[in-house]
Amino acid sequence: MARTVAMFTDVSLCIGCRACQVACKQWNQLAPEEPEWTGSYQNHATFTDKSYRLVRFFEEPGDDKVGMRWHMMSDVCKHCAQAGCLEACPTGAIYRTEYGTVNINQDICNGCRYCVSACPFGVVSFNHDTGTATKCTFCNDRLHNGLGPACAKACPTESIRFGFRDDLEAKARKRVDELQKMGFKDAQLYGADKGGALGGLNAFFLLLAKPAKYGLPEQPKLPQRNVVMDSLFSIGAAVAVGLGALLAFRGRGDDAGGS
Amino acid sequence: MEPGLLQSSNWPLLIDLYFFLGGVAGGAFVIATIANLVDGRRYQDIVRIGYYVAFLALLPCPILLIVDLGYPTRFLHMLMVSKPSTAIGMGAVTVGPLHLKPFSPMSAGSWALLVFGLCTFLCALDVFLTDRGGRSMIRLRTVVGLVGSVFGFFIAAYPGVLLGATARPLFVNAHWLGAIFLAVGAATGGAAIALVLALLRGAGAREGLTRVMRVTSMALVVELIALILFVVSVKMAGSAGISAALGRLLAGPYSIPFWLGAVIVGIVVPLVLQRRAGAPGMVALVSALVLVGGFLVKYVLIAAGQAS
Repeated sequence: MARTVAMFTDVSLCIGCRACQVACKQWNQLAPEEPEWTGSYQNHATFTDKSYRLVRFFEEPGDDKVGMRWHMMSDVCKHCAQAGCLEACPTGAIYRTEYGTVNINQDICNGCRYCVSACPFGVVSFNHDTGTATKCTFCNDRLHNGLGPACAKACPTESIRFGFRDDLEAKARKRVDELQKMGFKDAQLYGADKGGALGGLNAFFLLLAKPAKYGLPEQPKLPQRNVVMDSLFSIGAAVAVGLGALLAFRGRGDDAGGS
Repeated sequence: MEPGLLQSSNWPLLIDLYFFLGGVAGGAFVIATIANLVDGRRYQDIVRIGYYVAFLALLPCPILLIVDLGYPTRFLHMLMVSKPSTAIGMGAVTVGPLHLKPFSPMSAGSWALLVFGLCTFLCALDVFLTDRGGRSMIRLRTVVGLVGSVFGFFIAAYPGVLLGATARPLFVNAHWLGAIFLAVGAATGGAAIALVLALLRGAGAREGLTRVMRVTSMALVVELIALILFVVSVKMAGSAGISAALGRLLAGPYSIPFWLGAVIVGIVVPLVLQRRAGAPGMVALVSALVLVGGFLVKYVLIAAGQAS
């Protein structure tokens, strides 16, 4: 397996220009969509089958000195080290590439949509035209040709950076220290820690506030963690029902009417 | 907190119907098998009806599932693709073109549906041939019945585990959905047998009816306990998004089908009526209520979960 690659999105540098969103659409030949009013500059409200990158806008009313604060964040598939979509997929269409990213093989996906609800970040979308699930591919075709993803290439402020995961993580940690020294007390990394939630995210973020402010779960959880315990409880119920049925059928005929 | 971006599978009613019919088939098969094991001759009617109900209820299931796929012609990909990748998930097993992912309930469920389908077919065929005066393959029926019962319970329960393994706020911290679905499957399977038995045999099948209804009531009690544990465990998880999702089920737009349909019509009324049920007419009524309630509890959990 090749060295794991990653994307590092530094929201402190994001100016909300959405060049990443446009570059993604162009490179991946995603069709245009009707804009929708989300109450902000954000379009669309969620990831869609035609928007793999999504610049998210959060307005925060400030105090007397600062009228309004903007939080902007270019959001994308996190390519989780433990990916809910990949584990859910019953066909094996979703696989881990040699670069450590998560991809959906469009020739295998049969459109069951299980991955859509299994993603803790709401990234996977269903394409009604093709009948398959779609999401960011980490520009797999570009990776194979030694290029980074189109969004990182297009970003004019280097808010989105592409590189090997270990290199990027070191840079990200340095950047957090710098920002904290500059007074951004809440500056923090999201998903950079390999020992953290979901085994670390291969698209990780530098946030200037708590994850919740950006609509990100504080502690994303791999949904399949429930499977073992749910199964055990189901077996318990099966034993209870099975034994009960056995007793109900056993007793003698003449006491069948009793309780 | 800003709203998250979570998306929903938006599975349509077809899937609810599959979960319901799969539960009926699994429950009926298990009950028929247990009746067969205890005393196949004495409970002949229950065994026959049970295996027939299981077979007939399961028959439309694969069609419902295939129709729902975005790419129906690729239904076989649930079991096999020409070259499965090796990196398709935890514990994935691939043998030639076949693949099984133990942590994907949908993958395991697809295999279980195949095996269970075969078992229901064999048992129904055996009953059919015996009815036509053929020699019963009693040993085969016992073995297939036992193997099929494991898969029958699996088919009843796995949709709950499948929902529990999603990121939907209502389900992400819930651990009891599999148990609920299993109990509903057993209750509706028993109710389906009782309904057919009451309609076909009437008062002549009093003993059988009493016993099947006893199994059904017990499954309803297990269902009620599992439902309570589900609500309590989700409530204890406590985050704002999860509480809102639970609120939609218990007090919001889904509260009427949940309380009135699933709990009162589907569990409480049948349990109360069953205690004094004797006449086949009453048994038929109670069974019908259990079937309606069993569908509603699955429907409302899925709808509330997908909407949250």
